[in-house]
Amino acid sequence: MTWIVLLFLVLGVVFNIMGNLGVLVFPDVYTRLQASSTCGTTAVFSVFIASMLITGLSVMTAKILVITLFFLVSSPVAAHIVARYAWNKDMVVWRKFHD
Amino acid sequence: MDLHRKWKIVRVVLTTFYLMAGWVLFTAALDPLMLGLGLILSFFVSLLTFKLFIEKNEVDFHSLLPRIHYGVFYLLLVIYKMYVASFKMLWLIIRGRINPRVVHFRTRLKSDIARVALTSSITLTPGTVTLSLDDDHLIVHWLDAKTTHSRYAGELVKGVFERLLKRIWI
Repeated sequence: MTWIVLLFLVLGVVFNIMGNLGVLVFPDVYTRLQASSTCGTTAVFSVFIASMLITGLSVMTAKILVITLFFLVSSPVAAHIVARYAWNKDMVVWRKFHD
Repeated sequence: MDLHRKWKIVRVVLTTFYLMAGWVLFTAALDPLMLGLGLILSFFVSLLTFKLFIEKNEVDFHSLLPRIHYGVFYLLLVIYKMYVASFKMLWLIIRGRINPRVVHFRTRLKSDIARVALTSSITLTPGTVTLSLDDDHLIVHWLDAKTTHSRYAGELVKGVFERLLKRIWI
């Protein structure tokens, strides 16, 4: 059990670091948003699963489950609002040119 | 009693029910005092917020009571896809060779809440972010685009999600 918890915590840390690295590496608003928001969501979700496993079967687990469900609803909406604002402001999408 | 007032009462009762479920989950106390307090508080809150929680034109039976057993399966599928796509995302960040494109496609889903669920799951899956949702027309930013053909891209991005959501909210 401890090893599964450790695995999920490590996954959370790795996704978080790589998401932040993606913000630095990628060229424009949309690609940076992809890296930060989506990798961040997976990271936080992994940490939530790890904490659910570590508390075992109790009332606390149900509360964390509810928080996780709310997070799954609210996080993509926040990302979508940022993307929608950028799209409505006519920001140009970066694309690779084949030479 | 006219139809509008009846529908208003139904909306208040449903909102109170959902708020009460949240209250019981978060307090985890089953003694009558706490339950009564929760009922009174959720009734007052639902009087203020029922117009936002359930829209006036949302009279479809299935949009209020979705089929939960398909919903649980759908949630597991979304989480599985989220992890698979996250590992692909890691590989893209390390390799640094991306091919971002904007793709347009349409959805066959009819109810509003099903469309919002589809939009959220597309955004939740790493690699795709929904830019705009206008009636049934979706604009999606795809980080590693395989194609820009509308129907083919739609099948790759939303294929399984749409088929399952159709069963949840008809």
